Amino acid sequence: MKIDDDDFLTGAVPDPDTEPTATERAHAKAFSDLIDKTLASGKLPPAMSADDRALLEVATVIRATHGALDLAPSKQRSVVEDALRQAIGGGNAATSLPGGAPVIPLRRRLRTLPWAIAGTSSLVAAAAIVMLVVRKPQLVTTPQTPEMPLSWKSRPTDTLIGRISTECTGLVLDCAREATVKTSARIDTIFSDRLAGYRDRRFGGKR
Amino acid sequence: MKKQHLLVWMIGLAFASGCSSSTEPDKLTRSVTKTPDADDVIDEQLMIALGQAKNFHYKAKVYMSDGKVAEAIAAVRQILSLRFPATAPEADDVRNDARALLGRLLVSQAQLDEAMRVVDEGLAAVTRESFFVANLYTVKGEIHFARATALTTDPRATEEKRAAIDALEKSIKINEALQKQLERQ
Repeated sequence: MKIDDDDFLTGAVPDPDTEPTATERAHAKAFSDLIDKTLASGKLPPAMSADDRALLEVATVIRATHGALDLAPSKQRSVVEDALRQAIGGGNAATSLPGGAPVIPLRRRLRTLPWAIAGTSSLVAAAAIVMLVVRKPQLVTTPQTPEMPLSWKSRPTDTLIGRISTECTGLVLDCAREATVKTSARIDTIFSDRLAGYRDRRFGGKR
Repeated sequence: MKKQHLLVWMIGLAFASGCSSSTEPDKLTRSVTKTPDADDVIDEQLMIALGQAKNFHYKAKVYMSDGKVAEAIAAVRQILSLRFPATAPEADDVRNDARALLGRLLVSQAQLDEAMRVVDEGLAAVTRESFFVANLYTVKGEIHFARATALTTDPRATEEKRAAIDALEKSIKINEALQKQLERQ
């Protein structure tokens, strides 16, 4: 098909508000028919001008972006497999598109990958269990704590206080007063002794 | 694929090393610098409680120097509510000594039943014999004798006197046993 459109492709740009001429209408109609035929048949005309070919490709792209153009199932499969191959670090995508031959090994590897991971994990887990069962328990030697001085320990105060004398010959109230004094003296003795031990333990004997 | 294998092995090794380290908890929890058991040593809590007891006794002594027996009794009662370390033997000794003094102060106020209750509570809680326990039995004997004196010709006075003798006997036995034990040491 030959369309002579040099006059409006190379000529001055017409005013957009001007009415299309009969030639322009005829050219538009002819080009529209050409696009319809091409898209319907899926084949380009055997001969056409370079400008028409460029316009036809643009029209095809525009139509495809509007979703009105479906890919053939084999083409779709090829595109998807290429994308998968690229995702797992495979070879060049362009190499698999025309022939489709490398796609089959890729699928096989994808099928065997989970089994390989599971098998390896099981082996490692089994090895760890065997190691736990077979290995001898380690003897943990606890360090001997040094003998603690008696003065650091909390302990009965009998040796410090001794036998408690309750002798009192006075009146009951006087005896109670005397008991108060003696008891206060005992707690003073206990406190002083334990304070010395506490200081010795905490501050290394510094008073 | 090689990367995935390597990752799996690394996870496995981490799992195995985690299992092996979990068999050695004692190594981690037992420190070489571990000090003797905290229950045995004289710690801050014991010193605080002893210091408080010392102050309350001093307070009671000052009140008694002015003849304020009720105030002295209140001060000594506060010693019984002090918080000592749970296993400190000093706690028993200080409490028993406070109970003995409280009993004597109550006897001086003719509150014989309350005095007996305080002493019996202390004796009921005894876990080991000590000079302080012996002193409590002595005070128990004094209370029985005070009751007997109050009863004069009442037949129950004889029972109270017998109970006083029993309590004093008990005190003497404890003192003698402890004295011999200390001499052997």
